[in-house]
Amino acid sequence: MTDEGISQERRRFLRQAIGTIPAAFLVNGADLAAARAQTAPAPYQPTYFNVDEWAFINAAVDRLIPSSEAGPGALDLHVPEFIDRQMQTPYGHGELWYMSGPFNPNADFTLGYQQPYAPRALYRVAIADTNALCQQLHGKNFCDLDAATQDEVLGQLEKGKVTLPRIKAIEFFIQLLANTKEGYFADPMYGGNLNMGSWKMIGFPGARADYKDWVTQYGKVYPLGPVSIEGEKA
Amino acid sequence: MTIKMKPVDAVVIGMGWTGSILSMELALEGLNVVGLERGEYRDTSPDFTYPKAADELKYGIRGDMLRKLSKESVTVRHNEGDSAVPYRQYNAFLLPDNLGGAGMHWNGQHYRPSPEDLKFRSHNVQRYGANFLPANMTIQDYDLTYEELEPFLDKFEYLCGTSGQAGNLNGTMINGGNPFEGARSRPYPTPPVPNIYGAELFAQAARQMGYHPFPQPSANCSQPYTNFYGVRLGPCNLCGFCERFGCFLYSKGSPQTTVLPALRQKPNFELRTQSWVTRINLDNTGKRAIGVTYINAGGEEVFQPADLVVLSSFQLNNVRLMLMSGIGTPYDPSTGKGVIGKNFAYQMMSATSVFYDKDVPINPFIGAGSGGSVIIDEFNSDHFDHSKYGFVGGGYIIGGQTGGRPIQQLAVPSGTPAWGEAWKRAAKDNYLHATSVVSHGAVQSYQDAYLDLDPTYRDTLGNPLLRMTFDWHDNEYKMTQFLTDRVHEIVQQMKPKSYSTLMRKPGDHFNVRQYQTTHVTGGIITGADPSSSAVNRYLQSWDVPNLFVTGASAFPQNIGYNPTGLIGGLTYFAANAIRTQYLKSPGPLVQA
Amino acid sequence: MASKITPLRVVAGLVILGVVGLGVAVGAPVAFGGDSGNPSASLPVPITPALIQRGSYVAVEGDCAACHTNPGGQAFAGGLPINTPIGAVFTSNITPDKQTGIGSWSYGEFERAVRRGVRPDGTAMYPAMPFPSYAHIDDADMEALYAYFSKGVQPVVQQDKPANIPWPLSMRWPLTWWRWFFAPVVQPASAPGSAQDAELARGAYLVEGLEHCGTCHTDRGIGLQELALTPQGGPAYLAGAVVDNYSASDLRGDPLTGLGRWSEQDIVEFLQTGHNSKTAAFGGMTDVVTHSTSHMQLSDLQAIAHFIKSLPGSGQEQAFVYNPAVALELQRGDVSARGAQDYLNNCASCHLSSGAGYTDTFPALAGNPVVNAANPVSLIHIVLTGGSTPPTAGAPTSFTMPGFADRLSDQEVADIVTFIRSSWGNQGAPIDASTVAGVRKAINAPEPTLSK
Repeated sequence: MTDEGISQERRRFLRQAIGTIPAAFLVNGADLAAARAQTAPAPYQPTYFNVDEWAFINAAVDRLIPSSEAGPGALDLHVPEFIDRQMQTPYGHGELWYMSGPFNPNADFTLGYQQPYAPRALYRVAIADTNALCQQLHGKNFCDLDAATQDEVLGQLEKGKVTLPRIKAIEFFIQLLANTKEGYFADPMYGGNLNMGSWKMIGFPGARADYKDWVTQYGKVYPLGPVSIEGEKA
Repeated sequence: MTIKMKPVDAVVIGMGWTGSILSMELALEGLNVVGLERGEYRDTSPDFTYPKAADELKYGIRGDMLRKLSKESVTVRHNEGDSAVPYRQYNAFLLPDNLGGAGMHWNGQHYRPSPEDLKFRSHNVQRYGANFLPANMTIQDYDLTYEELEPFLDKFEYLCGTSGQAGNLNGTMINGGNPFEGARSRPYPTPPVPNIYGAELFAQAARQMGYHPFPQPSANCSQPYTNFYGVRLGPCNLCGFCERFGCFLYSKGSPQTTVLPALRQKPNFELRTQSWVTRINLDNTGKRAIGVTYINAGGEEVFQPADLVVLSSFQLNNVRLMLMSGIGTPYDPSTGKGVIGKNFAYQMMSATSVFYDKDVPINPFIGAGSGGSVIIDEFNSDHFDHSKYGFVGGGYIIGGQTGGRPIQQLAVPSGTPAWGEAWKRAAKDNYLHATSVVSHGAVQSYQDAYLDLDPTYRDTLGNPLLRMTFDWHDNEYKMTQFLTDRVHEIVQQMKPKSYSTLMRKPGDHFNVRQYQTTHVTGGIITGADPSSSAVNRYLQSWDVPNLFVTGASAFPQNIGYNPTGLIGGLTYFAANAIRTQYLKSPGPLVQA
Repeated sequence: MASKITPLRVVAGLVILGVVGLGVAVGAPVAFGGDSGNPSASLPVPITPALIQRGSYVAVEGDCAACHTNPGGQAFAGGLPINTPIGAVFTSNITPDKQTGIGSWSYGEFERAVRRGVRPDGTAMYPAMPFPSYAHIDDADMEALYAYFSKGVQPVVQQDKPANIPWPLSMRWPLTWWRWFFAPVVQPASAPGSAQDAELARGAYLVEGLEHCGTCHTDRGIGLQELALTPQGGPAYLAGAVVDNYSASDLRGDPLTGLGRWSEQDIVEFLQTGHNSKTAAFGGMTDVVTHSTSHMQLSDLQAIAHFIKSLPGSGQEQAFVYNPAVALELQRGDVSARGAQDYLNNCASCHLSSGAGYTDTFPALAGNPVVNAANPVSLIHIVLTGGSTPPTAGAPTSFTMPGFADRLSDQEVADIVTFIRSSWGNQGAPIDASTVAGVRKAINAPEPTLSK
């Protein structure tokens, strides 16, 4: 089978969707062997996001943290699954935020988030608005844009250079980037950071949380791989 | 229909550090004490055992140990004329909740004030002249001296098993300690936690420049320790999960690791969790508290009569409860009259990330909340001649890091995009090789920085939120620039590959999106005179003498240090006065 | 509800089963005989506040509350289920209520129950009641105990629950037979050398009698009787036994598996606080410390320690010698040994790469008799379920080790336990995953969250 006609981004999306693990982030041969030994699990089915939202999330996180030989990307580490699962938590429902009105969404930026949306509603509104903007500017949904255009759109959201009708663009971007990095670096039990891939990349020992022996071994590289809360180890 | 409970000798509102200590001290005196905690019960086990304590998302990011803002927050505005908006998500400062309060998720940075911090107005006026202070700066003296407070600062350190190196032991200067500290009567209870590598690099550079670096005093015990209540703490292993986390090694000083195990053994103490106090009730003279009203777990209103009331919740909540109870005169910023809500203050940080080449493995995940970091105190308080710099106060400079948790603590060099391939590469290349140097500066008090009740926003019970009116002032911009210049000199001496700094410059508003510290102070300040303070030197209300109000709400202005050591010292000072004077003859301990 | 007194639960069950089996094999009831006491005896001394006070202390020494106070229930009102494979036995109400408690019992009836296991109606008690040990209580303490339970305890109206044991297993005559066969003569304990050493005599009196240490720490024979009730009974006395999926330690002088390396002061501190520089209490011992030994007088604890230190080891074990090699390997990141990485990942933050732990805080693993015990069940059990040291008035901190059953597979636990048992000079044999699986099943511990 050839990949002709399928964009690089689509390929990544599909790859993620069928649950395979790219070798890019695997640090050594033992990991590779372990990964190959795993049978491919069924692809994750989103429980909150609809089809368009799911496509958007997959496409966006793939640009925010792309896959490369330097290390795994957000799709490699199942960040979309992490974000979808977060939507089912008290956090996703806004139970951690003060969400009583009245809302003053145009308050000074330094006074913090003032949009009338908890995370679930925020994504629902902002993704629809962003796709509408992409249709207007480029005639396609975000997920169908090429990588350069996707980066351009994300940059416009980040810098507040575009206006979305129902939410401040920058607030959406802050939320999206924060959740993406959370899914990339959080403990694997939350659905992202598959096989502790990001921890292996940067050298964080994860939940080991014991460095008594290493405090004064100045100048030595810490030699042990990460562990997760549920006991994955490398 | 209000449920009326059996009267008790004392009721304590808020079971964090100061509430736990006062409950214990009053229980030791034989009083029947009820401790009310609005949050849930929690303890090292089962809540914070390994490995579930090492969960950055749950604790560090979602703030599982904090007050859910959906229940209650504060509102913020920069100026008196603005309309305030709610603090809807956690960033700049954190609000504690649940048993142990902020004492459970602090870092254990355990300082004493400098002697001049307690006489800050008169000291500065004497040294620099009255005109040196800006006209709207409303700093005041404490009505007590460092020497009076020393035994109680000492007691709080010996409660926690605090680790550190004395610099001034009964007037004898000791190499390796803080040469600027006030005289201490005893060494620290446990020796310092060893320096982490980043701190060691900072210490070497600072020493080369003629400074006097010393290990940060730390309520992270360096070895197991048994305190005077018989409670035993464990040793710190520099796990890297401290601030915002519970300590699975019983090492971080907290009510749970220092007081509550002994308090739990007292038959004359009762703890009631999920008891959210809404009012301190006064008799018809308005001069005497008769008890407190709270909402219990079932949503019922309960009245708990008591002879003595201790208000010991978090600083912001203390102020709110005083205003909601109508105790004391609310502060009026236009006249400067009134005391409740007056002199709200904060702190101002600058943070410099220091990046080394790949041949310098910092291993940033090796870190403790406070142990293992190194301090210089040359530029704090009035440790240097301010006359040519045009500001008062200062802060300490700290080298090292509290951990390397990647969601919150991963830094990339300035100029790196916040996302994309370039960000990922920078994260990968720099993570293991970065440490930080931070300046931790005081914010003084001003006529236009204050707290009152918000006219619009309400908590889940329908009570008004507290409103914070606050912005930075020139004194603090100058202070932070001065400190950051010193930071940069030291960092250059550390010879890194690069460094990048976050600092507030003139014109920058107070930004609730950037974490600074949780050290909010003032609003129920202590002093010598009821016209300018809300509580006397014993933290006793001038207006209602059977009410004592503990915590950082008593600070007339903020200090450059972390506040908990001073809070603990003031609490033991008050406890001693209650035990030795007040209970023998209830009434005002200082005549107005 | 769950039974609290776990060691006795299984012992009682096994005893009942065994006795029923034996009794049926013999095929005929055995006539009640021997020294049966005098149920009509009355208390020979007047009840004074001092006597009640003393009785209260004797009750602490005997840890009566451990079984007769149901957690959450009223003091000494009984009702604690002691589960057995054939049904539950419930402890009895021993408050002085006249109808439902023991308020109408004569001193003689009380004495016969405590020291001889005979109920007022002449039938035998289940030997969940440690009357074979209590047989060694002297008359003065018996009298004080009677005074305390007559006048020092609040009467509580609470009907005893009948045992849920179906006929024919509910017949009590085999218990009488057992009692006649295994229960010792009622007389105060006397250790060899007691005449010259009053502290030793006091220690023997407490350990063999009121403290009933052998109930858990002495192995049992075919009739599930303790193999020895005194040091004179043989080397099995307090040489360790398996109770409720823990191995109760060897308390004799063996240097590796016993208390050979402990000083008398170590023992005293352990009994006072539940921990010392070498170990921490776990399993049923935490209850013993909480309810009994932490409340005892220092002189009595010293006597107990003195007596225990008089028990010789088997002479078969070499002395423990600390070996620093493993610690040095771990400290430079060498995790090539079996279980080394899992040890670092799960255990070392408290017990350290040196295996030394922290005094009175986190127990040492190097040289710990529990670690070196022939039977590794305690170590496996603790790794799976964790444990807490008992909070006491003098040492109120309760240090908790979390259970790792949901984090570690059977193989990983086997690797860790093998690593611990073979490192730092320890000399325990390796174990395999199936042993862990057996313990996990027996104690109904959770499975790992991740499939491993």
